[in-house]
Amino acid sequence: MSRFGCVLVEHFDAAAVERCEPALRERPLAILNPSVDGPKVGREGAPTAKINGAPTASINMIVEANAAAREQTVRPGMTETEARARCPMLVTRPWVEEYAVSARHALLEAALAVSPRIEDGGAGLAYVDTVGLERLIGDPASIGRRLVYQVRAVGLTARVGLAASRTAARMAAANGSGAVTVIPPGRERAMLARVSLAALDLTPDLAATLGGWGVRTLGELAALPREGLAMRLGPAGLRAHDLALGLDRDPFRPWTPPPFWEEAQGLEWEIDSLGVLAGVLETVLERLCRRLGAVALAADALEIRLGLASGGHHARDVSLAYPMSEVKPMLTLLVLDLEAHPPPAAVTRVAISAHPIRTQAGQGGLWQPPAPAPRDLVTVLARLAALVGADNLGSPVLVDSHRSDAFTMLAFSPPSGPESLDRRGRRGGHSPRQDSPALDDPARLPALPQHPTGERPQRLALRRIRPARRAEIETVGEQPVRVDALHVIACAGPWRASGEWWDTRAWARDEWDVVLGDGALCRLARDRLTGHWYLDGFYD
Amino acid sequence: MGQSMAPIRGEITEIVGGPSSGRTSHLLACLRDVVSRGEPAALVDTEETFDPRSAAEAGIDLRRLLWVRCGSHRDVALRAADMLVRCPGFALVALDLGERVPRLPTTLAFRLKFAVRRTDVALLIVGRQRLTGSSAALAIETLREGIEWTGPGPAPTRLARVRTTTRVLRSHRGAPGWPPSHWWSA
Repeated sequence: MSRFGCVLVEHFDAAAVERCEPALRERPLAILNPSVDGPKVGREGAPTAKINGAPTASINMIVEANAAAREQTVRPGMTETEARARCPMLVTRPWVEEYAVSARHALLEAALAVSPRIEDGGAGLAYVDTVGLERLIGDPASIGRRLVYQVRAVGLTARVGLAASRTAARMAAANGSGAVTVIPPGRERAMLARVSLAALDLTPDLAATLGGWGVRTLGELAALPREGLAMRLGPAGLRAHDLALGLDRDPFRPWTPPPFWEEAQGLEWEIDSLGVLAGVLETVLERLCRRLGAVALAADALEIRLGLASGGHHARDVSLAYPMSEVKPMLTLLVLDLEAHPPPAAVTRVAISAHPIRTQAGQGGLWQPPAPAPRDLVTVLARLAALVGADNLGSPVLVDSHRSDAFTMLAFSPPSGPESLDRRGRRGGHSPRQDSPALDDPARLPALPQHPTGERPQRLALRRIRPARRAEIETVGEQPVRVDALHVIACAGPWRASGEWWDTRAWARDEWDVVLGDGALCRLARDRLTGHWYLDGFYD
Repeated sequence: MGQSMAPIRGEITEIVGGPSSGRTSHLLACLRDVVSRGEPAALVDTEETFDPRSAAEAGIDLRRLLWVRCGSHRDVALRAADMLVRCPGFALVALDLGERVPRLPTTLAFRLKFAVRRTDVALLIVGRQRLTGSSAALAIETLREGIEWTGPGPAPTRLARVRTTTRVLRSHRGAPGWPPSHWWSA
């Protein structure tokens, strides 16, 4: 019974770049050593060094090459010049740490989608504990195919080996003929016997010693007497012997994903247009969402970090109204946020982090009224916020105050279930405009009186003037008789109100309802502290 | 809908009238009827005249109301309404244009008409004059009929109620089924 799976991505640094630029998969690609100029080095650019103040061209070394380049005999360790001599069509890219880190995490997360216990074996290598997966997925070959599929979903191509030990599984993955290689139980030693000793990644000294003894394969190493190896080579020799036998002595170290998942993209040119930047953001988000989708997770918060040509950074946090793993709404929200808060300089690097969470699927009730889909709602709210400003958008909430226009705004988030407001709203028999606590709960607001004819009157609306307009009022006694140039036809009042007398924001006012000569029915207010008259609004 | 007019889903409805004619009270009644069913509604408020206290007293669950304040920018209000009617799920999108109604090209009116048909949203436009012309399925005009005052003594101390009536200017579906006159309590 296989117990471990090994997921191996060959030529990993090249695969990490191909994941970011899929068009390079079919072309010979070589990765150059990291330069002092960092990821901004262009395709044809060569990092330079200075000797005695004079710039001199440094030598670019190949650190990795993809399969197409290796067919053209391009190998790591060559100079770029030599590699181009062997392969004139060679495409080179600088080694970028973010690409490698993102691809490494993507590989591990893809393996995590198959088994909850995985181990990080290094760049391009992940070990999977497959115990118990047979009942869930099937035989070892099916588990291997599932691993290959998941890794392909995050943009990498992997070979998978399954065996009783991690070492045997790794050898099977590296030396197998197909994408999935399964070593049956008890056949580990026989399968490993033909594998070259170089596959063990031994230290150079140990490899040279064994080479000097004429040991070329793992089978030959496994045939050596263990006691003799211990005497001559010490613990390193014993460990190599164990590996040759396909035995794991190291403990399994489970890998847990980081709290934030990041994808980054270095740019070869400076971008100063949001439209162009949106294309880059979409590419990075696609990779991020593929990683999330591979393990059925969603993001509830995004953090974007833009490297600037000026040397600084521009960082923005975008909290998502609901967990999502779709590129389009994420891109819309990021672009709208960047429109409102543009970077101060041209952009040279893009990094997006997502906080992954597991979503719980829910089903709407049969009697639940239709509501905007969360994805549509969050998008339209973001667009509206960009249009009118975030402060001018939301649901009003009345403040517990006697001040007539006291309210605040909250983010629009309608409750999911319907509530019967009429039943609650008809309790009590308060008179209109009675001083009552002004809360957001309609049940605590005064109910409407019943008309003698049986017809239930509805509430008259007030159209407010914000801010209240100062008015020139002519009075007789206390009563207004002229408002600006208009005669007062009828009026009622005063309705006296005051509040916050214990504070510096104390207020006191008399309110009058008046009908003006042009037919308008409006509310006037006289500030009793200053004596000024204001036009509060119109009844309509 | 009971006593007040009901905007038609998937169509444009217009309420026009002068100051203090009852158009805003009709608007609040429509919003109340929608949110009392548990459906969300949106109000695009061009001149920021919406009074949350009046709305709460009219029975509107403010949590289900999206209020968009446009700072007297009519072009912004039209764009906001255009965005909202393209978002399926809102039962009612109300556009309060205030006292100065902008000119709306016929093409834009048809664009709104087809947008609300596609998303099945009721678009209710309130203003001094009609805006969308033949694109509106229902257009009514509000008029004030009377005012009643009240108070303990001979001199009234407060406004009691206002009576308004409606006149149908345009209707695709025949005579409306609601009574023309309404009492609005202050």
